Amino acid sequence: MSTAPVASPKPEWSRLVADSLRQNGVWHTWYKLAEARQAYPDDLTLRGYCEIVRNEIVRQLLQSPKGLQSIPRLSPEFLTNFDRFNLNAQEGYLVSLIDGRLDLQKLVLLSPFDQFTTLFVLAKLAYERAITVPQ
Amino acid sequence: MSDRYAIAEKLNVPLAIVGEAGEVKWTNDAFDETFGDDATHWLKEAARAVAGEAGWLHGFFLDADEHRSMDVEIEGRTYRVDRVGNPSDFEPNAVALSFEDVTRQREMEQAKSDFTSMIVHDLRGPLSGIQGTLEFVLAQEGNRLDAMYTDLLQEAQRESERMMNLINELLDFSKIQSGNFTVEGEPVRVAGVLKRAVRSLQSVASRDEIFLLNAHGRDVPQIIGSVEKLTQAIINLISNSLKFTPKRGLISVGAQIVRAGELPEAIVITVTDSGMGIKAQELQQVWEKYKQSGNKSLRGGGGTGLGLYIVKQIVEAHGGEVSVASIEGVGTSMVLKLPVKRAA
Repeated sequence: MSTAPVASPKPEWSRLVADSLRQNGVWHTWYKLAEARQAYPDDLTLRGYCEIVRNEIVRQLLQSPKGLQSIPRLSPEFLTNFDRFNLNAQEGYLVSLIDGRLDLQKLVLLSPFDQFTTLFVLAKLAYERAITVPQ
Repeated sequence: MSDRYAIAEKLNVPLAIVGEAGEVKWTNDAFDETFGDDATHWLKEAARAVAGEAGWLHGFFLDADEHRSMDVEIEGRTYRVDRVGNPSDFEPNAVALSFEDVTRQREMEQAKSDFTSMIVHDLRGPLSGIQGTLEFVLAQEGNRLDAMYTDLLQEAQRESERMMNLINELLDFSKIQSGNFTVEGEPVRVAGVLKRAVRSLQSVASRDEIFLLNAHGRDVPQIIGSVEKLTQAIINLISNSLKFTPKRGLISVGAQIVRAGELPEAIVITVTDSGMGIKAQELQQVWEKYKQSGNKSLRGGGGTGLGLYIVKQIVEAHGGEVSVASIEGVGTSMVLKLPVKRAA
């Protein structure tokens, strides 16, 4: 006997994302949301939750007292073992700009990517310990 | 005629049972008194498709389970027509309709809307003068005002900006209510609209020590619509975020392309803040008129409760849809999806 397909109910994103942020932090939540986007490509609300988490990642990067005047540096780990870091084109380009003198503000100005994407990629590089951003 | 129509026969509301081709199957006394024999003519007209577009009567035959109501012009007056049933003792393709004369109600609404519009226009003139004067005084080089007066003037400037926003919202609302809210069909560079909206509020964000960032590239496709209204929608969203985002918070304005194969199908615009968030039970109501967040604005003063309602009207006038995501204590993202229309 055949049965009509039943649409699976949409997850309760608000609670799921809030719980995940509390328990696992922003980056774990971000990667989980990126996976969920594949499963629910048409879910507009889910896009909103992805943006909230991305926004939170960049906000945390800017929270140091120096804010956009913080100067990122390449990490010793990156300098000695950069093969371990599997950088994509955006990350590679931004890493090439980091010289220990340019602050976040100047990197944003020099970057060909939009302001937010530039800071998000820098936050990702900091999370993966390719760079350090003084807090 | 069945006995169960005896009550309907004597009701004061005009009622009629009509077939799909507009043929009259039954009417009550009130219907006959209101419309007389002319009804057979205009009901047939209402069923007829003109230039490929179905007549209004067709809408009442589409979905038997859904309540249907529409305002239609009949012989110079406006009637609200409601489907009140699908009488089974006539053939399946017949509907029972009630007709309520709402002409006077519509005229009153129009008069109210015209009045609001006029008052709002009259308020804007002097307020622009006040704003210009404050701006001029505060921008003077070598300003010798002491700090206290400068603070007071800046406060007056902030409040006048807020009042101008309230007036503009009322003006838009009155346009929506009067049906004069139309969207021009011009090509719109969405990236330009977002940049302009961000630029116009950058000084307010800096003053409140909030980071306001663009989160989109230049490769956002064009859409067809109104540059002015879309800019206003984005400004409304950013202004709203500014009210609820604390110092050193972040607001990002992004755009993503939704593709159907190779071609762009829609643009999803997001305005995301790191504000206090919206309670889950209030989320679905944020786009309704006069609805305001239970949270208190961090920048003082309330609004009209019309800002997000106007945004929704603008997006829907472009054939789009809106959504909202929020986590209390983390932030809120307002999501707008706009279709990319291509020339045929």
